[in-house]
Amino acid sequence: MKDKKQYNVFWQALLLAVTFLVIGMYLGISLEQGRLTEINDYYIQSEVSLIDILALDNLIDSSSLNCEDLKRANIALLDRVYEEAVLLDQYESAGRITEGITSLHKKYDVLRGYLWINSIQIKRKCGGDFNTLVYFYNYEEEDLTKKAEQNVWSKILWEIKQERGSNVILIPIAADTGLESINSMLNAYGVEEFPAVVVNEGVVLDELVEKEELIALLN
Amino acid sequence: MDFLTSVFLVYSFVAFYFLFLFVLIYFQNRKEILKVPKITKKYDISVVITCYNEADTIGKAIDNLAKNGYSGLKKIIVVDDCSKDNSWEIIKKYEKKYPGLVKGVRTPKGTGCAAGAKNYGSKFVKTELIAFSDGDSFPERGSIAKTIGFFDDENVGAVTSTVLVKNRTNLLLKLQAIEYIVIKFTRKLLEFIGSIYVTPGPLAVYRRSAFEKIGRFDQENLTEDIEITWRLLYHGYDVKMAVPAKVYSVAPHTFKGWFRQRIRWNKGGVQTMIKYGGSFFRRGMLGAFVLPFFVFSWFLGVFGLAVLVYRLLKAFVVRYLLTTYSVKAHAAVLTLKDFNLTPSILIFMGLVLFTLSLTFSIIALLSIKEKKEFKRPGVFVFLVYEFFYLLTYPVILVVSAWELLRGKKTWS
Repeated sequence: MKDKKQYNVFWQALLLAVTFLVIGMYLGISLEQGRLTEINDYYIQSEVSLIDILALDNLIDSSSLNCEDLKRANIALLDRVYEEAVLLDQYESAGRITEGITSLHKKYDVLRGYLWINSIQIKRKCGGDFNTLVYFYNYEEEDLTKKAEQNVWSKILWEIKQERGSNVILIPIAADTGLESINSMLNAYGVEEFPAVVVNEGVVLDELVEKEELIALLN
Repeated sequence: MDFLTSVFLVYSFVAFYFLFLFVLIYFQNRKEILKVPKITKKYDISVVITCYNEADTIGKAIDNLAKNGYSGLKKIIVVDDCSKDNSWEIIKKYEKKYPGLVKGVRTPKGTGCAAGAKNYGSKFVKTELIAFSDGDSFPERGSIAKTIGFFDDENVGAVTSTVLVKNRTNLLLKLQAIEYIVIKFTRKLLEFIGSIYVTPGPLAVYRRSAFEKIGRFDQENLTEDIEITWRLLYHGYDVKMAVPAKVYSVAPHTFKGWFRQRIRWNKGGVQTMIKYGGSFFRRGMLGAFVLPFFVFSWFLGVFGLAVLVYRLLKAFVVRYLLTTYSVKAHAAVLTLKDFNLTPSILIFMGLVLFTLSLTFSIIALLSIKEKKEFKRPGVFVFLVYEFFYLLTYPVILVVSAWELLRGKKTWS
């Protein structure tokens, strides 16, 4: 029987544990970077679509182009951006190591804000037979009550979007990102409490209401 | 990276480290695990059995030891710690059955602890080696002989055995049967780094000179078998484990009994940690591994439980608020959106760790061969053990710390 205590095993285990942790971190970072790249690609596509819509917007003033094409393109882009927001949310909650997605979130907030402004202009120019629901929430909400309220708001809005399809444009925007354009919009609509929903640029709801009550405000 | 992610990664690292440590020790020594040294010298040995209200089992326990098969066994001292049942009568009966071998003694007044009864019995021992067993433990035939060869090394102060659950009639007992097997496997692995931290009561053999030199069992400690092992390490002795020396013990069959036993073990563990707290990085492997390992495990267990409780409470409050608001707003209480199944680094780490610990437990279970009468617990019991039973450890840790603190307040 050998009776030699093997103290080297402590170093070997340390080496293995460090290796595993590094591999795990590397895989985690790669996974999150891959998601960031994916969302970034979507963002670039959305930016291209936005420029396309702006071009259409300008063409309407100078030619006989159909307003319906502009509205359809705008709604399609907003719907897509909303889907991307949902995906972004999922990736954000699963993202643990890298911070890249947070800054992407801000870029999307600016884009969504801009698209909202564009929708208002399209409504003015071409008439508004679609509904706009702009949902302002706090990105860094710590208050559990508010957090739960935000969760329920996004659930109600999601359900309405599922039921009404392209009749409703849903624009979620984080209000606490410190972005000038968003702050100006908040001031313009007198939104001070969050979460809040601006319905068709008219009614501001800063308290949770029944789903049916909100539906009744839509066209 | 948020705080909880950092905490999770630190825990993952620690868990990886200890898992790899044990796996490496196993693979580097797997051929040695079942080996015991040959007997080159016949050491005389006496066994002290302690008994308190164990009329149902004491007779069989004496029988098992008397017929254990080691010719150097000179005396079996059965200590009755003032039992209230008829244990004493049974002991006297067995004294007559094995004249000259079995000697029954009674503590003048109940000591109220195993350490007291053991110390009392040890005063009647004159042999070179002294073994201790319990009134409800049944050493397998040949078990004593398998511990003897280790004592050829003069630095060996004690040899421990493989303790297994005898009664496996309900789920709790089957879970303990798995736990005991995993514990005995881990204990043997610790031998290879000189860090066995307990010589459990059901069967442990000590070199009498070492036992007396270090001052016998500590009667103030709730787990005298842990404390004496630390004290042996403190004084520079080696502690070995004879895996083939099996002893079957009666485990608590009710939840209450099990819980109280675990609280006692943990309280004793904390008492021992406090007693040897000054030995950090001193006194060989006691300060280099055993003490830091215990302190670290205790801290991680309590802190981990605190984080878990915080997370669960927070999730509960959010779920309650969500339900209330959803009902108020006529929205769905639960949707698929509420379940985020997007893979993350934490899920990956968790899965790897779980798989590794599962593999470790399986290796431990496969490491032992038992007689057919001791049926190996099935897959269901094993899964309950992995998913639920192990989660009780930190809870017991916290309850025992709380009780110890309360006790301290009372003493002061």
